Amino acid sequence: MIGRGGGRRLRHARLQAILAVAAIATAMALPVVLVSVGGGVSSHELASLQNAGYQVVVSAGGLHGIAHAHSLAQRILGLPSVAAASPVLSVPIDAFPSGAGTTPVLAEGIIAGEFGPTLGPAESGLFPLPLPLGDPTDQIHYDNGSYAGAATYDVMVSSPFAQALHVTTGDRLPLGPTSNSTDRVVYQVTGTFGVPPTALGPTGAFAVLLPLSDLQVMTGFASEPAAPVTDAADTVEVAVVPSATTEPGVINSVRDQIQALVPFYGVSSLSQEAQQLESASAVLTGFYLALSSVGLTVGLVFLALVLVRRVESERRSIGIRRAIGQPGRSIAAALIGDGVLLAASGALIGLLAGYLMVEGLATWATSTVQEAAQLAIFVPLTLAELAAGVIGLSVLAGAWASRAALRIDLAEALR
Amino acid sequence: MKPVQAPAIELVGVERTYAAGEADEVRALRGVDLAVGSGEFVSLEGPSGCGKTTLLNLIGLLDAPTVGEVRWDGRSVGRRTDRERSRLRLEGVGFIFQRFYLLPSLTARENVELPMRTRGVERAERQRRASELLSEVGLTGRERAYPHQLSGGEEQRVAVARALANQPGLLLADEPTGELDRVNTEGILTLLEQVRKERNATLLLVTHNPSVSRRAHRHLTLEDGRVTSDLREP
Repeated sequence: MIGRGGGRRLRHARLQAILAVAAIATAMALPVVLVSVGGGVSSHELASLQNAGYQVVVSAGGLHGIAHAHSLAQRILGLPSVAAASPVLSVPIDAFPSGAGTTPVLAEGIIAGEFGPTLGPAESGLFPLPLPLGDPTDQIHYDNGSYAGAATYDVMVSSPFAQALHVTTGDRLPLGPTSNSTDRVVYQVTGTFGVPPTALGPTGAFAVLLPLSDLQVMTGFASEPAAPVTDAADTVEVAVVPSATTEPGVINSVRDQIQALVPFYGVSSLSQEAQQLESASAVLTGFYLALSSVGLTVGLVFLALVLVRRVESERRSIGIRRAIGQPGRSIAAALIGDGVLLAASGALIGLLAGYLMVEGLATWATSTVQEAAQLAIFVPLTLAELAAGVIGLSVLAGAWASRAALRIDLAEALR
Repeated sequence: MKPVQAPAIELVGVERTYAAGEADEVRALRGVDLAVGSGEFVSLEGPSGCGKTTLLNLIGLLDAPTVGEVRWDGRSVGRRTDRERSRLRLEGVGFIFQRFYLLPSLTARENVELPMRTRGVERAERQRRASELLSEVGLTGRERAYPHQLSGGEEQRVAVARALANQPGLLLADEPTGELDRVNTEGILTLLEQVRKERNATLLLVTHNPSVSRRAHRHLTLEDGRVTSDLREP
């Protein structure tokens, strides 16, 4: 308990000490993994929001629930301080590249002229701008909702798709809403685009980009009754003018004006979404810590039991020390010191084990878990707080054992 | 570190009851009045369970009386705080137990150093003094041996050296030769007497052995928790 003597006692109780350290290390590794991976995913999502090229998003309940997407975009564009309003419809379809059979792809229907300005800095480098899709306003084919105008039949394909299926610019690419070959429509590939690094997101590596009206007609989302709504989209992403992108007041005003236009849709600013995400992340972190606290409590109770067991097995030694004149508080301090030493060792090993587990998941786990693990961030302050909490609680474990040590009857212990 | 003057010990109406008020109450000491002067060599005798060890524990402040007072140099010390009693034990008392009670994880020298380390003596000084004490008890060359590597006589000599480490004025020995053979018994008693004389220390020694008892100058006999006889050598 003191100096070299304490070190030797630790060695004598090696097995107990190893078990206590292992219990705390195991209990510590769990929150390290949960907090680092959970925090990493949240941070990634937050960064995606903060780096987006749009500031307000309109969404609807249900799939493809926004109706009259073209006209809504026009009305939003008419609001002050709005630079772009980009409706987006995402639908899984099938592609029929020559010699490759039916290939599922994620199709995104967009208005080319509006889509470009809503790209964030990280994304804009992945796309050739302006997008090589004819009819940049998508008004020719859409033709005031008649879809009677001339379609361009232009499509862009993602680089992974192009590489895997040997599709190049200028090729003809049949697309259809199902694998039924009779529904297919032949498009011309006008360019390729890169896929942004995603994690846990819906963006597929095999993706195509085509005019919104083309996708609506192809998939039946142009008009009722085939579609649940007329001129459907999933979201409308709204970018404010560049001078207002850092002005919360302007962004909130745009959001409120859009909400007034479509009171039945959800309209939120990305800062709102970021706040919600941060709140959700904080709740999740708390949940992770609460979950982990069960393990940590078990570890610390185990530590306390090991220390109390040590007191029991060293009753005589403690009695001898007390008889010699070692004060009770010195015995207590030594026991607490032992507890802190064991807890600190466990915490340190747990931190390391947690880190290695995350690294292992990032290297060898299945795709989604691997992607999440690759996003993990280790915030030194959080980890230090976690370790400090464990070490702090170990003082309680040591105090419990000290109480037992100080209650030893000297005369009895030396009998 | 200066030797501590042996205190004059006084017990006034001391009683010690274990599990007081309960069905299995044990009255280990009953109204003991006793005075032991500085530098005396006193033997405590009596049958097993008569209260000899309890009396020694009360004098050495390992225990507190249920009733009565324990005084050192006229000052009541029996019911002081744990911290104060620890300090008084550390500076003033050297204990020697029948079963030696060396700490098994420490070497002979470290066992002897322990009281000095607790008292805050510098490392070099305590190492020097521990070696000196071990030499005095005839254990030169055995400093690094652990208790399990020592014979019973050697262990008790280490225990004596440890008891002398802080140069206490009061030596309390509870059957120190109870587990030793005749030769080792002689050696330990000679050593204790020598130390007592050189340092004018008070030596209280519990024993069942008449040959050990004969060496003392004063013989206390306890029976059923009471001092029934107090004889002084002429």
